Formats: sequence, C-alpha cells, structure tokens
Amino acid sequence: MTRDFLLLWPHLKRYRWRYGLGALCLAGAVASRIAIPYFLGESIDTLRAGAERETELGDSGLGAQSIKSLVLWGAGSIVVAAAIGALIRTASRILILGTSRRVVSDVRRDLFDHLLRLSPSFYIENTTGELMSRCVNDVRNVQGLMGPVFMYLAETAVVYLFCLTVMASKSPDLTLICVLPIPLFVISSRFLAGRIQRGSRRAQAKLAEVSAKTDESISGHTVVQALGIEALDAERFDKRAEEYRELNLEVTRARGVLSPLMGGLAALCLLLVLAVGGPRVMRGELSLGDFISILFYLQMLAAPTGVMGFVISSLQRGRAALRRLCEVFDADLTMLDPAGPGPAPDKGGGLSVRDLSITLGGSERRLSDGEGTTQERLPERLVLEGIDFEVQPGKTLGIVGLTGSGKTTLLRVLARELEVDAGSVFLGGRDVTELRLDDVRSRVGYVPQETFLFSKSLAENVSLGRIEATREEILRAAEDSRLSEDLDQLPDGLETMLGERGVNLSGGQRQRTALARVLLLDPELLLLDDTLSAVDAHTAEEIMERLRPLMAGRTTVIVSHHLAHLSAADEIIVLEDGRIGERGSHEQLLAQSGFYKGLWERQEMRERLEREVESFEGDVS
Amino acid sequence: MSEARNKRESASWDARLFLRLWEFVRPHQHLLWIGLGLLLLTSGARLLSTYLVKIAIDDHLIPGVQQGLMGLLMAFAGVNLVELLARRSQMLTIDRAGHNALRDLRCKLFRHLQKQSARFYDKHRTGTLVGRITTDVEALYELFSSGVVTILGDVFFLTATIAILLSLDWRLTLVTMTVVPVLLLATTIIRRYVRSAYETMRSRTGQMNGFLHENVGGMSLIQIFRREHKARGEFTEINTGVRDAQLSTVVWESTLSATTEMLGSFTTALILWYGGGLVVESMGGPRPADLGSWSGGLTLGILYSFVDYMQKFFTPLSDLSQKYTVLQNAMTAGSRIFGLFDTDESIKEAEHPVEAPPARGLIEFRDVHFAYDPSEPVLRGLSFRLEAGERVAVVGATGAGKTTLMKLLTRLYDVDAAADGTRAGGVFLDGVDVRDWRLNALRQRVGVVQQEPFLFEGTVLDNIRLGQSHVDPKLARAAATRLGLDECLERLPRGYDEPILERGKNLSAGEKQLVAFARILASEPEVLVLDEATANVDSHTEALLQSAEKEVLRGRTSLIIAHRLSTVIDADRILVMQKGEIVEQGNHESLMQQRGLYWRLCKLQLGSAGAGDAEQAEAGASLNT
Repeated sequence: MTRDFLLLWPHLKRYRWRYGLGALCLAGAVASRIAIPYFLGESIDTLRAGAERETELGDSGLGAQSIKSLVLWGAGSIVVAAAIGALIRTASRILILGTSRRVVSDVRRDLFDHLLRLSPSFYIENTTGELMSRCVNDVRNVQGLMGPVFMYLAETAVVYLFCLTVMASKSPDLTLICVLPIPLFVISSRFLAGRIQRGSRRAQAKLAEVSAKTDESISGHTVVQALGIEALDAERFDKRAEEYRELNLEVTRARGVLSPLMGGLAALCLLLVLAVGGPRVMRGELSLGDFISILFYLQMLAAPTGVMGFVISSLQRGRAALRRLCEVFDADLTMLDPAGPGPAPDKGGGLSVRDLSITLGGSERRLSDGEGTTQERLPERLVLEGIDFEVQPGKTLGIVGLTGSGKTTLLRVLARELEVDAGSVFLGGRDVTELRLDDVRSRVGYVPQETFLFSKSLAENVSLGRIEATREEILRAAEDSRLSEDLDQLPDGLETMLGERGVNLSGGQRQRTALARVLLLDPELLLLDDTLSAVDAHTAEEIMERLRPLMAGRTTVIVSHHLAHLSAADEIIVLEDGRIGERGSHEQLLAQSGFYKGLWERQEMRERLEREVESFEGDVS
Repeated sequence: MSEARNKRESASWDARLFLRLWEFVRPHQHLLWIGLGLLLLTSGARLLSTYLVKIAIDDHLIPGVQQGLMGLLMAFAGVNLVELLARRSQMLTIDRAGHNALRDLRCKLFRHLQKQSARFYDKHRTGTLVGRITTDVEALYELFSSGVVTILGDVFFLTATIAILLSLDWRLTLVTMTVVPVLLLATTIIRRYVRSAYETMRSRTGQMNGFLHENVGGMSLIQIFRREHKARGEFTEINTGVRDAQLSTVVWESTLSATTEMLGSFTTALILWYGGGLVVESMGGPRPADLGSWSGGLTLGILYSFVDYMQKFFTPLSDLSQKYTVLQNAMTAGSRIFGLFDTDESIKEAEHPVEAPPARGLIEFRDVHFAYDPSEPVLRGLSFRLEAGERVAVVGATGAGKTTLMKLLTRLYDVDAAADGTRAGGVFLDGVDVRDWRLNALRQRVGVVQQEPFLFEGTVLDNIRLGQSHVDPKLARAAATRLGLDECLERLPRGYDEPILERGKNLSAGEKQLVAFARILASEPEVLVLDEATANVDSHTEALLQSAEKEVLRGRTSLIIAHRLSTVIDADRILVMQKGEIVEQGNHESLMQQRGLYWRLCKLQLGSAGAGDAEQAEAGASLNT
C-alpha cells in the first residue's frame, strides 16, 4: 500500500511548496470564516450591553453613538475578514486543486512514457480498452485523491480544530454536548455513501445493458421484423429499462435518507444548544453573542460531516486506482539493448535463422475493474518450432501457410518486436540479441498485416519513420507502392487528413500506404506480411512489378496467400502448425505435389475462370 | 466545438417541446403534484424553524422567561422532524415521477425504432440511435434531478422568505436585498466562464483520449518505426493543454465559490451594520425597553433571523443559472428525441389488410423494380414465379440482387412504386400482394433463415421457439433432435437451457445455423427463404448442416440463395442472376448444357472442391464470387 504511494512521492516532493502554501492559505481562509460569527457575536453583545445600560440609566445620545460605532467596527471587521477570506480561499483552492492537476498531468506523462517502452507482449495481453481505462479512469480517481480529497480532509481538520477551540473557549461543556452526535452521523454517512455509490455503479452498468440491448435490436432489426418478434423484443428492452428505473430509485432512497439525516444533524445540534445553552443565557452564564456565534459554528461543523462518507469512498477508489497504475508501471519493459552491444552489422548482410522456437502466452493477466482484480492465466502455446532458414543478401524468401500457422509471429520476431525465445536469428552475420535495438530496427522494414493509420495527413503517415523525408522522396515511395494513382481521388492528395475526422481509406489504399511508409525507409531487410491481400489483382501485379527491382538490392521475406507473388522467390517455405512443412523453389515445390502444389492449381484455375467470367460479363452488358 | 454551437442553435424555448414531454409526465403527474406539495411543506418548515429560534431569543433568552421555552423546543424538534420526513418523501416522489416518465419515453422510443424499415436504418447510424435512447433521455432526467421541475418550489421559498423578512422589518429587508442583484450578476457572469472553461477542458480531454487510444492501439508501429520521441513530444503538448484547461476550471470554480461565500458574509455585515443601527435607534424610542418584547422596533432575535434567513436564501438563488444550463441541455436532447419520433419510415400495414388466403405456397415476383439508392437500381423489372412446393435456387455474383429478393418477400423493404406513385408490379404470396397482407400473417407464413443467424438473449431453446411461444417446448426440442443439435449441445453444461451469450458468441457458426433450422422446423412456415451460409465449418458439422437443410426444405416452397453446389443440383429450378436480372434459368442439367454463366460458375466451384476447409475460405471459392 505505502509502496503505491511512493509512485506519487517524487511529484509531491516537486510540488511541496505549492501544497504547503496551499495548506497555509487554507488555514488562513478557515480562520477568516471563523472570525465572522465571532465578530457577529461580539457586536450582538455590544448591542445588548448597550440596551441594558440604557434601560438602567435612561441615558441616550452618547451611549447610542458609541454603540453604533462599535457595531460599525464589528461590521467592518466582517467585511474585511470576508474579503481577505475570499482572496486566500481562492488562492488555497488554486494552489491545492491546481497542483493536483499538475501532479496528475505529470503522472499521465510518465504513464504514457512508460507505455511507449512496454513490450509488444504487454499489448497482446492487455487490450486497448483496458489500457485506456488505466489512462482515463484510474488517473481521474488518483486526481480526486490528490485534489478534492486532500483539500476536503485538510479543510475539515482545520475547521474542526478552529471551531472547537473557539467554541470551547466560550463554553467547554456546551461544546462537548453539541459535538457528541457528530461521530454517529459520520458513520451513517459513510454507510449511506457506500450504498449510494454501489447503487450508482449498478445503475450505470444497467444503463450499459440498456444501451447494449438497443444496439442488439437495431443491429438485428431485420431478424426481429422477419420473425415478427417485435413484442417479445420490446418486452426484453422494457425489462431492462424498468430495472434501470428501480436501481435509480434505490439510489434515491439512500440519498433520501442521507440528505435529510445531515439536515437533521444541524437541527439536532441547534436543539441541543437551545436546550442547554438557552437557560444559561437566561441565567447570565453565557452571553447572547457567544450563544449566537455557537449556533453558527455548529452549522459550519455540520456541513462537511454530510459529505464525509463520499470522501472516504473517493479515498478508497483513489487508492485502488493507484494500485492499478502501479501494476502498469511494474510491467516488463520492452526488449532493452543488451548490456554490451556488439558493433552494428555490416551493410547488406543476409538473414539467417537457426532452430528458432517461440512460445506465446503463459503470463499472468490481471483484469482489474472498479470492484476488484481477477487473475487469468493465458494458456502457453508453442507457436513456432525448430525454424531454420537462410536468406542470402539480396535474395527473397517466400512464406505460405494456413491462418494460425505462425507466419506473422515469425515476421514479428524478425522485426525484433518479439524476443527470440530459443534458437537464434542472425542479421548480417550477427546475433540480433547482441545488437542494439536501433541498429536492427533501422535496417528492417516491416509491413505488418494489419495497417494502422494515425489521424494525421497521408504524407505524415507515409513519413512516419522518417519525418525529415522530402516531398520528392514521399512521392517516389507513393509511386513505388502505387499509392500515387489514388492521390487525385483524395480531397487533398497527400495532405488529406486520415482517420476519425478525416477520410477513411479503403483496405487496398491502407496497405499501399503501409508499403510506402516502409519503402521510404529504404531498408536492407524487407518484411512483407500479406501486404497486398486487399489490393485488387491488377494493382497488386503492378506493385510486384515495381517492387522487383527494389527487392533485388535487399533481403526480402514475403508472406502471401497469393502464390503468384511468391513464384519468383529464391526459396519458399510452407509453414504448417509452426513447423516448416515443405521447402524449395517454386518449381521444386510443384514437383512435390504437396500442399503448395494443390494451392497453386486451385489459384491457377480460379484466375482462369475469373478471366472467363469477366469476359462473359462483358458480353451481357 | 460544433456540438456546442448546435446546442445553442437548437436550445430555443419551444413550448411544443414541453407539451410533448408533458405527454409522458402526465400519467405520473399525481406524483409530481404530491412532490410539489411536500416541497412547499419542507420550505415552510425550514422558514418556521428559523422563526422559532428568533422567538426563543426575543421572548425567552433576553427577557429570561423560562416558561414556555420547553414547549418552544418541542415545537422546534417537531418542525424539523416534519421537514426531514417531508424532504425525504419529496425527493422520492419527484424522482419516481421523473424515472417513470422517462422509462415510458424510452420504451416508446424503442418501439418506434423497432417499427422502422431497413431504409430508416440505412440513414441512421446505430451509435447515434443508441445515444438518443440513453444519453439524451438521461439529459431529460436532469430536469428532475437538478430541480428544474421543482423550480416552483424555489420561487415559493424565495417569495415566502422575502415576505417574512418584510413583515419583520421592511427597512432592513430593502437594504439587505440590495445584495441580491449583485449576487445574481456575479454568479451568472462567473458561471459563464466556468462553463466555457469546462467546454474547453472536455474538448481537450476528448482530444487527449483520442490520441491515447490511437497511440496505445498502434504502439507496436511507433516502436518499430522508432517514433517514441515524437509521440512523447506530441503527448506532452496535448497533456499540457489538458492541464491548463483544468487549471482554468479550477480558477473559475474557486472564484465562484469564494465570491458566493464572500457576498454571503457581506450580507451578514450589512445586516449587522444597518440592523445594529436600527436596534440602537429603537433604544432611544419612547417605549420602555425590554428589547425582546416590543413591537415595531428591531430586536436582536430579528437580527439573528435575518442572518440565518439570508444564508438559506442564497443557495437556491445562486443555483438559478445552473438550472438554466440544465434546461438548455434538456431542450437540445428533447428536440433530438422528438425529432426521431417525427421521422417515420416504418413499413406500414395496409389500411384494410386482406384476410390471409388459404396456404398454398405460391410466390410471384411481377415486374419488380427496386433500388436502395435511386441512382443505382438493383432490380429492374424482375419477374418469376414459384409454384407450390417448388424448390428454386438463386445463384449469381455478389451484388446481383439475390438477398434483395428475400427482403422484398418478407417486406423488410417495399417494392419501388412507379414514377406516378401508383403500384407498378409487386411481390405476391398466394396470389395476394405482400403489401396487402397483415404483417403478422405474412411473417408467419414465410420462414427466413439468414446467412448469419442472429441469436438473441435467452436459452438455446428460447431461440428455437423465438416468436413461437405457442410451440410446445417438447416439440421444439424434438425438431432440434431431428437435426442432430443434441450432439452439438453436449459440450454446453446446460444443453438446451444454456443461456446464449451476447450475439451468440458461445455457439459456433454451424451451431447457430442448426438453431435457425430448428426454429423453422418448429414454426412450420409454408414458404421458406434460405440464405445459405458461406462461413466455413468443419466437415462433420457441414454434413449435419446439409442433412438438416434437406429436412427443412422438405415439402415447402423454397427460395434458396445458394452457395452450396449440392443444394443447387437438388433444386427443381435454378435462377442465374446478374445485375438485377435473371439471365439464365432451368435445372442443373439443362443449364450445364447451355455452357453459359452457370456452367462457368460451376466449374469454379468444382475447382476448389476438396480443398482444405480453411483454404476454401481463403481462396473465397464459392458460387457467389
């Protein structure tokens, strides 16, 4: 637990002056608030004393004048106290709440910094949604802890300290009697706040169900209509809407106890003061002014008591959020550079893989939510086993295999995204695990299967790996990947904004962007993971045509389902369940009459038929 | 940003909007009235409570009269007890009224959406519609929870306070009230800054979350391309922007709360200064002075009550501008919701639907024109007939209009009218235009198996009996057993009673198909439209599916959008569709002899027959490519 708070320590230390000054201002602000009932009480005593003296002496004029000036002095003091109070109160809030925003902003920056350095396996085990929840919800809860919770606790402590001191100086036993019921109310507030927050969470979850049900029915509206089950489906929606209503009313029931209860606290305190203090005022043991100021002090004490329960809940939530953030900070970093990195490999070196095996999964996965943490162990799976191959500089290796045979994993290992488990990978004759990551990654151009585009301009997406690239270079890369032919269809050409606020590219356009991105890097080792799957056959052929000269100068590994793209490769391996099933050149594989040959024949026939169908369609239309 | 502009544009004081909302509150209005009554009671009790303290001070504490104090204290306790109970009941009744009305609104909106035709859904995104039914309705609920609905109560409370203060001392009241315009002006102005600071913060936070989402999702790319440094820089900038926006909300909120509190204290000072002066002046008056008891002058008790009343007076007053914001948001949400009610593109049942003709199983498409988008006609004058009991397979490329046939027969869409708006052509079932059928009767008679069967929440058995609650569960189970579903469900712990997870993700594609077939067997429609699945399943399930399909097709007029060669060969007749027209028809043998499109499509299918299951999907080799 304390270890979790250590996460915040450096930030707290950095901002200790702000927090300290804020706490000081807070104390000052509370003091000025305390002063107001005090001046009020004093003035009332002055008025009463004046009244009594007047009845005794029948003397007016001068007495009244001096009383008036005394009261004016009291009122003036209140104005001054209030004005100063308002100023330092604002200052204290800005200091404390503002600093909590600064602390949290720093935590968020550190968190993102850390995320940038976490290994790919971390991202395989944690979904984007879960990580977003860490970055958004948990950080928000920590902010609550550092700001409002801290301020409230400090303020309440100071208010209690000051109020009780001043009250006790006026009438110690009366103070004690009036304060007695307060702990009871704190406990019940705690209990009710817990109920309200649990209830609200349940209601929120139910609203999510309402939303999911709506989504289901809208997505399946044709089925609902075709089956004529509108009434049944509506009943199901109604059930959720009704449950949502009931959960909300439950929350209101708890609120409906808490809010009057806290009003009741103020009333009870008032009653006690009247019952106990009233007779004393009559007996002259307590001045009327003190009596009235105690009335106002009690209201000041009662106010924060009501929200105490919520503060305790926020405190707990903040602590839990802090723990979850620490989990992320504790996660393994990505592959680091080796302790004594070897010299960079020679330029234009080949690729060689020896007895490579990769196991994925097996790590603990924590699923945390608002309620708690459950652990799930992902099953361990041998994805690649005993892979052996060599690609000479400038040569091309083709890889085929069914979905799930380990093609993508192999490429991710070659791109140094996944760590080498067993066996070794040599780049330019050197073991990649002994090289600096940068030395490897700057030589490798990896086009992953899934194209990820950022919400930036197309040009920025292409120059992702080389921001300094000139426009000519970008255009050439776009030309080589045949992205160029679509440029005039896009509203702003290369400057077209992509993503949520921009244009959505088609699958083929996305893949060509990813290809251009890598070609711009001019890598020595080119890794293409089924890069042209969404590009139409004609364009794919054109791209391959343009790639061939580019591939001649570099070592290339191509994964493709489309065998025509592989037929020119120097060697082709067929992956079957993580092992090499068949290997050889295109001709050798065709001679083997195995998986490769079967696939080749089917693709051949399909292409022929497609051409026929095309020409047929030409006939009818 | 544009969101904020929209808000202002549409937040007009539209009385009709209130009337329409009132329609939903009306059935629960008794709760509202009771709540309002209780609110008045609460307000009254709060006002009385302060007055009792004033009496205690003036009539007992100052003159030292012990007698009656006990009674006064009892009254004080009683009044407060009444207030607490009334407040609790008031919160509950008002909230209940709100939740009842909005539940009704939600359910009605859901039913409205349910009725809409596919055309409506072509135009509205699912996410937006879900937002209407959740977020926008919640915004209307704010009217209840924030006290806009009970603003009458506030008005009463404020008026009553002023009345009491005037009756206590009109001069002091007038002086004290000078603070009110200052307070209103100050809170309104500062709240405006608070609101705009929050808007900036929300939009920047949204931007930041978008950035995070994108970068966390594309992290591997950032790492491979060694863009960590750049990403870090961008995030720092966005993060600083968020922090600054947050700081500005802190500044304005702090200013607001400090100003409100300061003005409250100024009021106290004002009361003390002016009221104190009045107290002193009345001392010099002609009457003998027992400060507490004489009327007309200002007493210390009155002074106390002024301070206390004004504290209570300030809270609802400074909340007013907040309530105005809630009201604006609710108006925007309301106009969106009711705008949806005003859009009606449902398939309408004929005004005088024809009684269902005797079931024979005759289907006729007569000169059918149809387009999803007017510029791209899908069907152009299509005509064909299915005789009773005939099994017809439709084949053709994607986009040839095959699925449209199904949608027209089940009236998910209506056939396009002629240019002059009259009916031109149509789809006829048992001799009656489907537009003249009672919708229920039509959908009873036509069974549909979609390509990707959609399973709803409930158990497996519930899904088999979906919409057929009259079907005996035993019969439904027997139907499923006949199709071999028993064996598939063995792996589920509760078998037929296993609850279906969201969208049926605990069943495989093949199992979902079988459930859909069992549904047909249980409901026994005369006519069947079957869109064969292209999803690949293992060979065992495939065999189960094939025999199940045979079972389901037996003895029914069926229109099959076929992807399986065996289905096509077994069909009585095959329609080959291309670009919304039938280009060839006949049985398998005659079409093969024609050596036309069908022949080529068949060769394509045969070419990939016998390939591995996964490979088949990858090569995409089926009749609809």
